[in-house]
Amino acid sequence: MGISHSARSAMFAPLEQVGRAEAVASRLVDAINLGLLADDEQLPSESELAAQFGVATVTIREALVALRHQGLVETRRGRGGGSFVRAPSPASPASWHARLKAVSLSDLRDVGDHYIAIAGAAAKLAAERSSPEDIERLRLATEDLRTATAAEAARAERYFHLEVAAAAQSPRLTHQEVQLQSEGGGLLWLPLGVQESHEQAYAEHLAITAAIAGADGEAARRLTEEHILGALDRLAEAHLGLVR
Amino acid sequence: MRVDTLAGDEVVEQVTALVEGIFERLKPVLAATESLLATPGPLRAADLHGIRPQVVDALGGLVIGAGFVSAPNVFADQELGFEWWTEGPAQLFISLDPAAENFLDYTRQSWYTVPRDTGRRHINGPYVDYLCTDEYTLTFTLPVTRNGGFAGVVGADVYVREFEHAVRPMLGSLRQATLLNAQGRVIVSNSVRQAVGSLVREVDVPAWWTSGAEPLTAAGKTLRRCGDSPITLLVAAG
Repeated sequence: MGISHSARSAMFAPLEQVGRAEAVASRLVDAINLGLLADDEQLPSESELAAQFGVATVTIREALVALRHQGLVETRRGRGGGSFVRAPSPASPASWHARLKAVSLSDLRDVGDHYIAIAGAAAKLAAERSSPEDIERLRLATEDLRTATAAEAARAERYFHLEVAAAAQSPRLTHQEVQLQSEGGGLLWLPLGVQESHEQAYAEHLAITAAIAGADGEAARRLTEEHILGALDRLAEAHLGLVR
Repeated sequence: MRVDTLAGDEVVEQVTALVEGIFERLKPVLAATESLLATPGPLRAADLHGIRPQVVDALGGLVIGAGFVSAPNVFADQELGFEWWTEGPAQLFISLDPAAENFLDYTRQSWYTVPRDTGRRHINGPYVDYLCTDEYTLTFTLPVTRNGGFAGVVGADVYVREFEHAVRPMLGSLRQATLLNAQGRVIVSNSVRQAVGSLVREVDVPAWWTSGAEPLTAAGKTLRRCGDSPITLLVAAG
């Protein structure tokens, strides 16, 4: 029975070391997303980074592993090797076709289940806890989708669900929402660019917002679950279309 | 025995002092920002570094983040700008390019819109601050003016859990004492029935605010404002 080795060493790590790798990783993610670190830029060596952040080399290594998992850094071996930034490209069809083709339907279903649990619970709580100010922000976020282009639609989707989680007054659900949105390189709200689904998504956001404004938690949850199931179906169809 | 006093005089006094103490820390930041904005000639976003000492000084006590956030088009070289520091001290960076994939529009946040629209100071939250702290937060903001117009806000972030730790002892033995924000949202309570972050619905708190926020006793509850602050004490009457 037991705690895994890494959980054990995290537990007995000096207190101020706990969460340092996450903190370093999150700084680097921010820097990459903000363009402070350019695509294909070589990162300083692990020991240089350790000195700059004032942490142990092993902490840097742990942070780089996390970034590699997120596909934001790649390590090249040999002469001229090291860690290089892989900045997420603006959602070009070529880049997301590759990601969508590589996904497995079982993973997609699993991430989808998790996402539905989080976003559905957030919608229910938002209906119980939203003030008129929160509703107003949800309305603005809903309108973003109406006027959005295909690429902007992905951002509008993520932003809307982020606002719902925030309106639920739950930092934990909000963190999970953000984390799930970037799962698989932001697979869930890929800009599939189907105008019809785009208009339907807008109508669904309107309905979810109306349920939240009406303090109808059960309806807000059900509508959110259906909305995400629809997006998952479209993704699965697009995946099958690519591998067929 | 006190006869003519309302329930919770002492609590109101202590909470007011705590809140005023937080706004007090922002005064030098406000002064430095307004004097910087009054400098003749076009201003660049990088000039904001000038207020860094006052911002860093504002950190401490309950204040875990502070700074200035501009209104659109205050600067000659970019649409939006800010100088915000968190404990460390560490500077906050967020995307300010409206076209960027990860841009989040802060001009929609209540900590920004309320001082802009009312010209008055504001306490925002409890809310999930996904832009800066990523935590359950209270944000205290003051409007900044330039040539009489709105130019942004200076603000201070306080974690809800730390505010709760500071305030809970003040609620002492009061029965069912709850502090609410102006929307009627629970900030801290000594009653399990009033969950933090939930909205009190038995009294229309926003309407009470709009009609002057005079002490009110109804349905066995007393509602009273904490000094000049937008925080209300809700307590069992009598």
